[in-house]
Amino acid sequence: MKAFPIVIAAFVLAVIIRLLRVRKKRRSASQSSVQSPSPAASRATRLWDRRLFGDTGIVAGREIRERLRGRVFRVVTVILFGVVAAAVIIPTLHGRAAQNAKVGVVADSTALNRALEQLASSAGLTVRIVSEPDLAQARTGLDSGRLDLVLEGTKKVLLQKPLSITDTSPKARYVREVSLDLGAYHAYARAGLTSGQAAIVAGAQPLPVESLQPGKPRKTTSESTALLGIILIFVVLNQYLTWTLMGVMEEKASRVVEVLLATVRPIQLLAGKVAGIGAVALAQAVALVAFALVLGKAVGSNLVHGTAPVVVAAALVWLVLGYGFYSWVYAAAGSLGERQDQIQSLALPLSLPLLFGYIVSLIGVSSGSPSMLVKVLAYLPPTAPFAMPTLVGFNQATWWQFLLSVALCILCTVAVAAVAARIYRSAVLRTGGRVRLRQLMGPPAR
Amino acid sequence: MSSSLEVDSLTRQFGAVTALDGLSFSVPSGEVVGFLGPNGAGKTTTMRAIFGLTDLDAGSVRWNGTPVGAAERRRFGYMPEERGLYPNMLVADELDYLGRLHGMRSAEAASATARWLERLEVADRARDKVEALSHGNQQRVQLAAALVHDPDVLVLDEPLAGLDPAGVDVIGQVLVEQARAGRCVLFSSHQLDLVEDLCESVAIIDHGRLVASGTVDELATQGARRLAIRVEGDRRAAWAGALPGVTVSEVQGGEVRLILDDSVESDTVLDAARTAGRVTKFGFERRRLSEVFREAVGR
Repeated sequence: MKAFPIVIAAFVLAVIIRLLRVRKKRRSASQSSVQSPSPAASRATRLWDRRLFGDTGIVAGREIRERLRGRVFRVVTVILFGVVAAAVIIPTLHGRAAQNAKVGVVADSTALNRALEQLASSAGLTVRIVSEPDLAQARTGLDSGRLDLVLEGTKKVLLQKPLSITDTSPKARYVREVSLDLGAYHAYARAGLTSGQAAIVAGAQPLPVESLQPGKPRKTTSESTALLGIILIFVVLNQYLTWTLMGVMEEKASRVVEVLLATVRPIQLLAGKVAGIGAVALAQAVALVAFALVLGKAVGSNLVHGTAPVVVAAALVWLVLGYGFYSWVYAAAGSLGERQDQIQSLALPLSLPLLFGYIVSLIGVSSGSPSMLVKVLAYLPPTAPFAMPTLVGFNQATWWQFLLSVALCILCTVAVAAVAARIYRSAVLRTGGRVRLRQLMGPPAR
Repeated sequence: MSSSLEVDSLTRQFGAVTALDGLSFSVPSGEVVGFLGPNGAGKTTTMRAIFGLTDLDAGSVRWNGTPVGAAERRRFGYMPEERGLYPNMLVADELDYLGRLHGMRSAEAASATARWLERLEVADRARDKVEALSHGNQQRVQLAAALVHDPDVLVLDEPLAGLDPAGVDVIGQVLVEQARAGRCVLFSSHQLDLVEDLCESVAIIDHGRLVASGTVDELATQGARRLAIRVEGDRRAAWAGALPGVTVSEVQGGEVRLILDDSVESDTVLDAARTAGRVTKFGFERRRLSEVFREAVGR
């Protein structure tokens, strides 16, 4: 079972290499024969683009093809898959390594063995008790790694290395509990308690402690998934929104926009670009999530348990809505500039609400209970893509609250798209420097 | 009925600047029409107006008598002054994309792309990125982008600028072929000798207004008579400046070009030339297009 993740990773790598080889072959084949544009590679996108979506579809199809063809996209995709694989596999490997321990016991007894097993169970550890004939042999076993710890009867606990005070692993907890219990056992004997009395004292339960304020609940599976979800949304949005801005700016800077707008309407060009890049973003996010879920199931990660799939679905919905909302704004911003050095100054103010929603939601998840601020931000379209999946992860959003937030976001997106299209139309043909918004309010320049 | 592109009373104001001031002219099919004017005369604004890329304060653009809209523009081909192609896209993919935006099916666009790249002698660069091409080859690809959908109207802003003689020849031949095939071809240029060679007619504008138009032959032969005279050993032609009713148009390479008023007899001019030396050339000439242009724009 441990080899399964490696097999999956190897399979994914093999598929990527295969795809790259096929593409290379097609490329060299087309170079040596007829000089016609990329034949089969993009047939699928070509089939749907014109027939289903007209000129907007053709523009979107070009965006999809060019993004998929780009080296940056491939590199980023491989890195993201690697990060996801690491995030899913590493915690499970760590957990597994710590869950088993071999305990060598010199002068063992049935009662002692049973007590050791019970303590192991409460520490979250599975132990195998090994009866050792003498202490010397037990020490050798400890030294060679055959044993994880050794008990010299009830007198002493032996370890290979000293325990760190900060070590909270199940094995460390187990060692401490065994040490405490055996110490108490000797104290009861010195106090002259019978075995029955000793058992009563040993079985003492702590009194319940109640507080007026509710305590911090332990993080559940779906909350962890929500955390991963908002990180995914943030990473994907940042990447693709910047591409949208740069894409519009590239068309303006290279003046190709003049050729395009001689044929298609500005709204078609803008919508095609937004839709094309958005489709690639969604496909990449879905592929990452599917990969994470399949890998998680294979390696026994808790990503796929409980309500986690619902949280994943909510994260994907909000990825689409978030991209839909912000992409128009970023595209309009891209039409205001035409130099690479203007990207930062154009993107920074737009990214602030995005960053705010992300950070507040992250704090909400890590604190174990979403604040009132998160609950408010879940209904504001600029921050809802992070805040609402957080609420879903904590099971603090009903279906109608979720739908209300979605409806508000869609309505605002329509309004934002209308304004963005106007800015785009006015600004994209103005050349010679960065266009200020107040210029668009002045006399026309195109 | 032959078709034509008509530009009717175009008016466009940018703040205090009048870019177009009631400009009207037409481009008949089957002709290459040169669109001339000094820098800032309004040529580019006119071409952008044809494609709806600038808003008009007044006037209209018509194709076969119908106001030009999105459907008509699909049948137009445009080459802007500042070249416009995706630098990172493969040449063939770029042309294919533009063909499809003009309504072609994928297979048609691919076939037209291959055909035009072949015709413009850049077929071997089909799988290269546009940015990897030389200026001249990018210019050819840009023209292919305007031609890929076999448009009825071709509007080209400075298509010959910066080309070597071979590039000028190829693009010039293509423009003439397109006109012979019944298309309207309008192109702007400051290379007046080339325009004179390629065009049947020209429209000259200045300050957003039409200042001269007609066939090259009409413009070259109309107006005052012109004499070209060469006097052996005389490179300054000082004798000509003293003749009443005679204006010296140009003195170059030992040859003087004169413009005669109606009252002046050519014999009078010949006699004056003989006083300066042996006359080795004496004859009436057409106006060059550069002379027509200078007279029309007054500078």
